[in-house]
Amino acid sequence: MSRFFEWWRRGSVWVWLSSAALALSLIMVAGLVLLLGAKGLGFFWPSNIQQFQLADGLVLRQVTDHESEGRYHPARIQLKVANRDIYGQDFRWIDLADIQQSSLPKDALFVERLEYGPFIGRLIQIEEYGQVLARGDEALSIARSRLPSAKAHNAQIKTLEQSEAGSLNTRIEKLRLAERKSELQGKQTPQTMQEAENKRKELHQQFEQLQTRLDALRAQSNSLTVTLETVDGHSKVIPLANIARLVSPNSVGLFGKIGTYLSRMWEFLSTGPREANTEGGVFPAIFGTVMMVMIMSIIVVPLGVLAALFLREYARDGWVVRAVRISVNNLAGVPSIVFGVFGLGFFVVTVGGGIDNFFFPERFPTPTFKTGGILWASLTLALLTLPVVIVATEEALAAVPRSQREGSLALGATKWQTLWNVVLPGASQGILTGLILAMARGAGEVAPLMLTGVVKLAPSLPLDATFPFIHLDRKFMHLGFHIYDVGFQSPNSEAAKPMVFMTALLLLLIVLVLNIFALRLRKKLRRRTGGSSF
Amino acid sequence: MGNRSHRTKAKHLDRFMAWLISAGGVLIIAAVLGILLFITVEALPLFRSAKTQELSPSMIPACDVVFLDESGKYAAAFDRIEGFKRCSLEQHDVIISDSKAQPPLPWRSVFSTNAKGHIVVQASDSRVYAAELQWNKHDQGMDAYLEWTGPFHTSASDNLIAARLIKGSGLGNRRFMKIAVLDAGSIRIGSAAIQDAIKWSEWPLPQNVTPLTAEWSENGSILFVGTREGELIAYEPNSELLRSDFGESVTALGFALGHNSLLVGGVSGKLAAYQVLRRENKVELQRFHNFASIDSSVNGFMESLRDKRFLVWSDSGLAIYHLTSEKQLTRMSVEIQGTAALSPRGDNVLATSSSSAKRWHVQAFHPEVTWSLFWNKIHYEGYVNPEYVWQSSGASDDIEPKLSLIPLLFGTLKGTFYAMLFALPIAILAALYTSQFASPKFRETIKPTVEIMAALPSVVLGFIAGLVLAPLLEQWMIALLAIIPITITFLILLMFAWSKIPKPFRDKFGSGKEALWLVPVLFTAVLVSIWTAPWIEKVFFGGDYRNWLYQTHNIVYDQRNSIVVGFAMGFAVIPIIFSISEDAFTAVPKSLASASLACGASQWQTAWRVILPTASPGVFSAVMVGLGRAIGETMIVLMATGNTPLMDWGPFNGMRTLSANIAVEIPEAPHQGTLYRVLFFTALLLFALTFILNTAAELIRQSLRKRYESM
Repeated sequence: MSRFFEWWRRGSVWVWLSSAALALSLIMVAGLVLLLGAKGLGFFWPSNIQQFQLADGLVLRQVTDHESEGRYHPARIQLKVANRDIYGQDFRWIDLADIQQSSLPKDALFVERLEYGPFIGRLIQIEEYGQVLARGDEALSIARSRLPSAKAHNAQIKTLEQSEAGSLNTRIEKLRLAERKSELQGKQTPQTMQEAENKRKELHQQFEQLQTRLDALRAQSNSLTVTLETVDGHSKVIPLANIARLVSPNSVGLFGKIGTYLSRMWEFLSTGPREANTEGGVFPAIFGTVMMVMIMSIIVVPLGVLAALFLREYARDGWVVRAVRISVNNLAGVPSIVFGVFGLGFFVVTVGGGIDNFFFPERFPTPTFKTGGILWASLTLALLTLPVVIVATEEALAAVPRSQREGSLALGATKWQTLWNVVLPGASQGILTGLILAMARGAGEVAPLMLTGVVKLAPSLPLDATFPFIHLDRKFMHLGFHIYDVGFQSPNSEAAKPMVFMTALLLLLIVLVLNIFALRLRKKLRRRTGGSSF
Repeated sequence: MGNRSHRTKAKHLDRFMAWLISAGGVLIIAAVLGILLFITVEALPLFRSAKTQELSPSMIPACDVVFLDESGKYAAAFDRIEGFKRCSLEQHDVIISDSKAQPPLPWRSVFSTNAKGHIVVQASDSRVYAAELQWNKHDQGMDAYLEWTGPFHTSASDNLIAARLIKGSGLGNRRFMKIAVLDAGSIRIGSAAIQDAIKWSEWPLPQNVTPLTAEWSENGSILFVGTREGELIAYEPNSELLRSDFGESVTALGFALGHNSLLVGGVSGKLAAYQVLRRENKVELQRFHNFASIDSSVNGFMESLRDKRFLVWSDSGLAIYHLTSEKQLTRMSVEIQGTAALSPRGDNVLATSSSSAKRWHVQAFHPEVTWSLFWNKIHYEGYVNPEYVWQSSGASDDIEPKLSLIPLLFGTLKGTFYAMLFALPIAILAALYTSQFASPKFRETIKPTVEIMAALPSVVLGFIAGLVLAPLLEQWMIALLAIIPITITFLILLMFAWSKIPKPFRDKFGSGKEALWLVPVLFTAVLVSIWTAPWIEKVFFGGDYRNWLYQTHNIVYDQRNSIVVGFAMGFAVIPIIFSISEDAFTAVPKSLASASLACGASQWQTAWRVILPTASPGVFSAVMVGLGRAIGETMIVLMATGNTPLMDWGPFNGMRTLSANIAVEIPEAPHQGTLYRVLFFTALLLFALTFILNTAAELIRQSLRKRYESM
């Protein structure tokens, strides 16, 4: 006992306590990453479909959550109801006590539809032009085999809609703008007006032709339908082309499930969102995030390096430079929302407004640059991350050994030649570290983007096949904003929650990989030069 | 030769690059610092005072009532002798309208009841008419039309003191007329539907009451009377008289936009605003704003139809005030004969004199904004007391935006406080442990882990806090409260057991790796507290702590509350404080620690009594940088609280911070409008706060570094 009190007196208790604080921090980081990983990655797994016999009938559901007896409810399970068009709800809790019997029917089918969310039930038959092709298991195999072609057909329709109809629309809009411009410049004559009118007529005609073609294609694709039935007897006829995937989780083995898992994950990464962002993929958000970070990097590196070169190599060291250095340092601590406010006020309203007035008066009142866009968002983030690059570059420049510079100067090189041939190559890794840190910070920021151009659903990517290919004025989607929007602004956020976990995991991975890379690089650099940050 | 030209070229390039880099560098740094300048420039117009510019005079002679149109270029004038005229103020043409439609001239009296262009006329035959003015745009300019209602019959001895055409509410849109006449020392109140005869009732005046002026409230339920004796009386049939001492003879009454605030002017220029407050069966006539006097007998008021500003005039001058801010926007000394008018937007003023009318353009940029609006309690319409309120938009146009920054600042401080409460002890203790006790190898892995923690996107933290932590905490709040004592008990038990273990084993596995041993212990503690929580809740809180909170403390539990924010934001702040204070601890010269240990102090005693005090400025600067991060954090607060601008320190409800407020409001704020600029002002505030904190932290760190060097 006395040894214990001696321990207490000499403070070993406090050592333990402080170690507890550290342990807690580590647990929190690990817990967060694990939580996101488990919840996010589990999202794609095709879990079994259970059939429950309840007092008021049969239900066929996927179990999504288990809860043991809680304070407000008895032991219960959460079920994914699906079939939103029939039942109107996404999830349902069932008390374990109410379940009389449960089984795993082999023919239970999980149908991922393009509209109204998934359907859980059985496939009754498959029809083409009203003729029944097959019923039961045979129907399922036919549906499976014809699904790819139906999808391809659908994709063709979509391409037509997007590319041809889209380009026609753009041409009609361009025509209108050209007219308006000549009107504004006072160059309009009856002749030009007539010409424009003819052109417009021609375009409208083409548009109608396209519409008839599309209608025919759609009718063809809608002719192949499947009849689905829920366990309590509601049946539903839907075109096969409206089905994204047919999964029968109870009858496929482990490898089948892994296959479904991977294909779902691929869909998540490579396609656009459906159903108000609660289904489908996040490709546009990934694309927007990456493109914004790229543009930001292109802007921030030259600016940051230039400023750092000036501060470290050219400016005379005195209190002014010291004050500037502290200010630049502290700018990294200024809240990101302040940069957002600046971006909105300066880039969007002032600069964008100026550009619109000067270059695009014919588009008034539709703003072109006087509204959020990827360029403004990137510029804002470039300002936000500029201090990171400046500080890292300065550190890297300082770490280049004096002897190397002096050697170069002694050989008769000018200051610039020394910088260009000796100092900058020596500092390049440090600059790269700064860039990666800036990219990581930029990828994770959301608040300033909300003011400068991010949207929940962008109709088109900022990079596409129409001239001028890179559309810097377009609004874009972003992983971080996607999390905020789907998780907090969406009316159906409970149903979308698993997807938000996956999106969050994705964003976390991007940021972590960038950071770990930067840390590695910096560590290597520090070991070489022996610098310290304090 | 070639070599030489090569060298000159290199020299030129060198000079050019030196110039380029210097110019570019200065420019970039100036641009970065220009952010501050730009935000300031955007916010500054808030405090600009109004600009008044005199316009060319107009030819309208003195008359009794004048209304201006939206542009301020046209006027509708009413005169007892000449009736109604429509005038173009810039082209000096006066069109006398169709006189047949008007009540027979000359009129006994004419006055306006509303700046929208509502007037009441008592004709020479004592009949009373009401009219509504309507502006119509046509090719040449604006035309004015009148829609007459009436007549309502009064007798020749009746002196009309107040009348108002009331728009019936609800179905049928029944309109009726409220009239008050002064007849031989008493007031008679009349009420009539259109085309009906007036039903009269008598209001015997109290003693020592000589009515000078009167106004009906907008719905016709209350008659306000100003008396020579210096009293304001609100008379409502069948209820108690409301009387309030004004201090001098009341010469004019009027309303501000929305007709909820009664403007009162006195014989020596005194000005005040009153409101009728109804609360808990009590009705009260409350004086809630006072304005600077205009120094001569007040003749009339006219309100703007845009905001709460109003015009007031006397024989010798006029002034424009803003009701809520009590600010005098402009004041002109000019001889006024007849009347004055304010345009609906409140930017054009006209005052008639015997032969012509003077006109001004008053550009008030943000009339409602004063420095005290942001920081002082403000008495808003409908509020019993002055309060701090943030409510940037109202349900209708005549509810003014309430822009006190105190609730937001309060929210920011509250969020920061809870975050620090959680983060400070953990971060500093963990840093102390890492720098002083952890084995070097373990340290090598801790530092990058914590740096990665710093890089976690705040949107992810906010998402976890709002959608995972908040529901979990709601369920396990009691367990959370139980964790602290249970963990401490467990720790003491563990250490007791540890002290019994043979020393060689302890030295081999314990020293420097205590944290690893603690992980399972902490887990057990959490499990035990979750396991015991329902039991604790049953025994101490009657089975449901939320119910208990509500019934015993009247606290409503919000799911997204300060504790959730504290956790999430603490999570974001811990790595910052940890990393800076760890550096500070590590940088303490080894000689100090060695000396302390050599004197027989234990490791902890050395750490606590020598290392910590020596490094305290460094820790302080770490705390300041952490504070800066917590103050500016946006996404976490946005997602983990309900964003209601409350003023309550309680841990079970939310807050709205300055930063989240910007994110919520600025997408909806019209560019260059008041709200937009106020949000810029708050951004400036955030900028200044964090910049000062960070600069102070940096200066402290630099001086500390110097001190270490001298040791």
